[in-house]
Amino acid sequence: MANLDKESAVSVNLTNPEEGKWGMVIDRDLCTGCQACVAACAMENNLAFVGEELSGNGRSMHWIRIERFWEGEYPEVKATPFEPTMCQQCGYAPCEPVCPAYATVHSQDQQLNLQVYNRCVGTRYCGNNCPYQVRSFNWFDYERPEPLNNQFNPDVTVRRRGVMEKCTFCIQRIKRAEDTARAEGREVADGEFAPACAQACPANAIVFGRVDKPETVVSQLAKQARGVKRLEELGTFPHVTYLKAG
Amino acid sequence: MIKKLLSWLASPLGKIGLLILSLIVISGAVWGIGQTQTVPEQPIDFPHSLHVGLGVQCLYCHPGSLKGPVSGLPTQTKCWGCHQQIAKTKTSALLAPLVQAVENNQPIQWVPVAMVPDFVRYNHRPHIAAGLNCEDCHGDVSKMTVYENPQVLNMGWCLNCHVEQAGEDEEKLIRLTDCGTCHY
Amino acid sequence: MSKQISRRDFLKLAGLGAATTAVLTGCGPASRVVVREQYIRMPEYTFNGQSTYFATTCRECPAGCGLVVRTYQGRAIKTEGNPLNPVNLGKTCARGQATLQGLYNPDRVTDPLNQGRGGALSANKVTWEEATGVVADALNGGGAAFLMGMAPDHLYDLAADLGLETIRYSALGAFEARATLTQAAETMLGQKGMPFFDMGNADFVLSFGANFLETWVSPVAYTRGYAGLRKGDRGRRGLFAQVEPRLSQTAAKADEWLPARPGTEGLVALAIGRIAAEARGLAVPPAFAGVDVAAAAAEADVPLEALERVASYFAAADRPLAIPGGAALAHSNGAQNAEAIFALNALVGNFGRPGGVFISPLAPGVDEYHRPANMQEMADFVARMNSGAIKTLFIHGVNPVFELPKALGFAEALVKVPQVISFATFPDETALMADYIFPDHHGLESWGYQRIVTGATRSALGGAQPVVVPFYNTMSTVDLLLAASQSSFADEVAFIQSKVEPLVADKNANFNAAEINAFFAYFQQFGGWWSNAEGLAAPSGGAKAVAVEAAEFEGEGEFYLLPYMSPVLGEAGANKPWLQEVPDPMTTVMWNSWVEINPDTAHELGLENDDVVRVVSEFGAVEAPVYRYPAIRPDTLALAFGQGHTAYGRYAAGRGVNPADVLGLSYNEAGDLAFAATRVRIEKTGEKRVLSRLESKLGVYGEGLGEEH
Repeated sequence: MANLDKESAVSVNLTNPEEGKWGMVIDRDLCTGCQACVAACAMENNLAFVGEELSGNGRSMHWIRIERFWEGEYPEVKATPFEPTMCQQCGYAPCEPVCPAYATVHSQDQQLNLQVYNRCVGTRYCGNNCPYQVRSFNWFDYERPEPLNNQFNPDVTVRRRGVMEKCTFCIQRIKRAEDTARAEGREVADGEFAPACAQACPANAIVFGRVDKPETVVSQLAKQARGVKRLEELGTFPHVTYLKAG
Repeated sequence: MIKKLLSWLASPLGKIGLLILSLIVISGAVWGIGQTQTVPEQPIDFPHSLHVGLGVQCLYCHPGSLKGPVSGLPTQTKCWGCHQQIAKTKTSALLAPLVQAVENNQPIQWVPVAMVPDFVRYNHRPHIAAGLNCEDCHGDVSKMTVYENPQVLNMGWCLNCHVEQAGEDEEKLIRLTDCGTCHY
Repeated sequence: MSKQISRRDFLKLAGLGAATTAVLTGCGPASRVVVREQYIRMPEYTFNGQSTYFATTCRECPAGCGLVVRTYQGRAIKTEGNPLNPVNLGKTCARGQATLQGLYNPDRVTDPLNQGRGGALSANKVTWEEATGVVADALNGGGAAFLMGMAPDHLYDLAADLGLETIRYSALGAFEARATLTQAAETMLGQKGMPFFDMGNADFVLSFGANFLETWVSPVAYTRGYAGLRKGDRGRRGLFAQVEPRLSQTAAKADEWLPARPGTEGLVALAIGRIAAEARGLAVPPAFAGVDVAAAAAEADVPLEALERVASYFAAADRPLAIPGGAALAHSNGAQNAEAIFALNALVGNFGRPGGVFISPLAPGVDEYHRPANMQEMADFVARMNSGAIKTLFIHGVNPVFELPKALGFAEALVKVPQVISFATFPDETALMADYIFPDHHGLESWGYQRIVTGATRSALGGAQPVVVPFYNTMSTVDLLLAASQSSFADEVAFIQSKVEPLVADKNANFNAAEINAFFAYFQQFGGWWSNAEGLAAPSGGAKAVAVEAAEFEGEGEFYLLPYMSPVLGEAGANKPWLQEVPDPMTTVMWNSWVEINPDTAHELGLENDDVVRVVSEFGAVEAPVYRYPAIRPDTLALAFGQGHTAYGRYAAGRGVNPADVLGLSYNEAGDLAFAATRVRIEKTGEKRVLSRLESKLGVYGEGLGEEH
């Protein structure tokens, strides 16, 4: 039996945390703030809706939100470019080391931050430590009255009270694409699939793909001079690149 | 208060109480484990042994396993395809639920037995593609009537096999033991 | 142990034992005993554990975007855009995504009902045979009229074939001032039809109130155009300026925002035209010559430099494009505003050139574009209802009691119609006032087709097919009408096939088939039919004389009221819980209505966020909490349209307010409602109601948001 604890397991053939495997490029110049990604994410990932009171208390379960801020005062006022914000799938994620239950762990295989629901005991340390504030906690079991439950995506766990959740980069789609590709004896092609947000985006502002392969669209876009990573100075190595206007 | 309790626990009566309490917990746990491993009652005591013995392939009734996550239960029209030609179908008490279901156009309510624990995303296809046979996990079904798991389907059992499969291939080991392989 | 034991009961039963078991066996199977039902008969195209995808057409708005719906074991799981459909090319908006929450909404009308005009949804079920009899009697009795929405088109065609008096209304159309847009286009372009603005090939877009990134005309298609503008397919990032009194979600993407006084949009267009003509060294057309730029800037209450800057962009661009839309046209002078804006396009020779203005290709089956009824036509219709000329009113796909301005008196007129039959899928305000509700299938359970009005550059017909078996005891309205009229068509599909059959002969299309059955199979597979031929028509018109009068307003209040279509909810999204929880793009408010007010004005009035105010016009009043909106004119209040239902299911009813309750009834020259021409005042109520806002979740990171954060 091989040794599971072996540190050398991160072999040369695998992607490294800094570079990552899957990544996203979000063009702030193109994002129109239309919320199609927000709705698409909710539909794909069995997100619960929590109602007016709880959402007002900041307990809504958005895995992706669109940030906009105001600059200046009337009439010289401007809204900052819309920024779709979801889990940045950091290479060195601040959420990971603080989990006492090893529920939020780093996937060496996919270079994603995983949330293992059955390990989560609900300390919410990860949510507190996330500089991007992208984690949502299930404060209650949220009701989805019959027959709304017919819409559940069978590929995604329906979370219950007391666990933390967050964007997974639609790992179920990654898995499906990889499985299909493996069944057909080939690699996953660039652009073969996309997470729900990128697939819906009417402006094509969200592009998804392999960031460790230089020829993919997402790698080409991320290399542009107008690419920035958010809170990069924290050393988190986020795998989402934002493109500035211009 | 706590000191009092501790000193009481140290007394002979306390020790007996502790023993009784732990016995209750353990027997509860044993009963619970027993429950999870007991074969649930099925609407039809389906004799797998007979069907496999007649040479019916697993994939004839459970073709989904070849293509994707779920092997699937056969539709009752599939059952009926053979059974309507078998005279005994109409008379056998064992088969009455099938006849009833077909006549009333009602689905049969099966209780799945080979289930992985909650929060696991299991996919049959890669397992079969990796060269596993049905009996490697499901046991010798030709010797069972109502299906029964040959072992506990838990994470330790999955991981043991995954680690064996990976062998010395470290990349494969990472892929097969990554949390995200099964949990998302 | 019972076979039907639920997970919760099992846990209770097993108690400590099972919990300990779970720990001992390593996350053991707590939900051990569940029941699984197999298919009795496996449907065609279905495979255990595999998803099946069906192409259909979205019915959340009339734009006709193509959908591909993922279904799994007979349930619809997810909607995606159809990549082949020329309108949306695989993309969707938030409402398209949430359409499943309509399909599986817990508050659908489940059976045909004898509603009896009760206030609540009746429990008085009837059979479909009885329903067919009722409809047949109504059809034979004479005096029947059909009020319907803009989708689906095959139902409209059937109603027309049956010789029914038909009128179509769309709240979206009203908020776009669709009649004004098409009338001005016809005047200025010299050709009938729906104008198409080739934004993707322009390098400067100047939009006057057209909220094309939200709900305007075909938002997914125009968002694609916007992306083309910004990506600068011609080598340069295109610029964009928006003229409107409130910074909308669309204007938030603009490089320049000119907060012109409501009703002065046409004047601003003329001023820009004059500066641009002079800068370009063109002879200043008479339309622009009479405008004093400084006076226009003062009248519009925008800084002269800002106006000149926008004009200089327009003058300097290779392919500038001016777009009239929305509130800019919803004034007493709206038609003139639209013409003035089209005159800008005429100035730079935009008609029929790339990056300019075209006429959208006509969809198959019609010889001209049929716009929705304007408000004046609706007013005439209400007068006919009042006069007793209409004996039976059929209503489908539209909710006029909620959508029309209360001042129009539709609800009062509806009471006077002897018989009202609603085909509503949801128990909306209008359906509850009907004698009967004969519920149609949800759009995803329906056959049909939808003519693509604009957004595609080719003639296109979106096809719809059921992606799941109807969930309730509903019946296709087309089938019901066919049965009631004893039509020769066997069913809805036969009727649709008869309508699309002429297309079999057109071989230059997305697919070819020898005969109708093969054609129809492809029609379902592709999710519609579209021509391969580019269909944008270059209009022939040129410059025309334009004059813009001052706008007139109704009422005496100190504020202009700007109602706008909620970008997320649209006119009928309020019953979908996830759309309620999708934050408004600009305010991030969820689940409610709010009044947008400039922070300085609010300060003067002593109003804080969440203070409930009463917005009062001559026609009515609504109460909603204040949202101090930094980017709105100090003399303007804005209210989003979409909330304020009194019925329409548990997620919509009793939530927020409806700006249609305070709107006046003045029209512009094209007969559209001048919905931006109502003046209002506000009264404090002393109450406070805290709005649910996503932005407060940003906590310490939201320092730049406003004072109270």
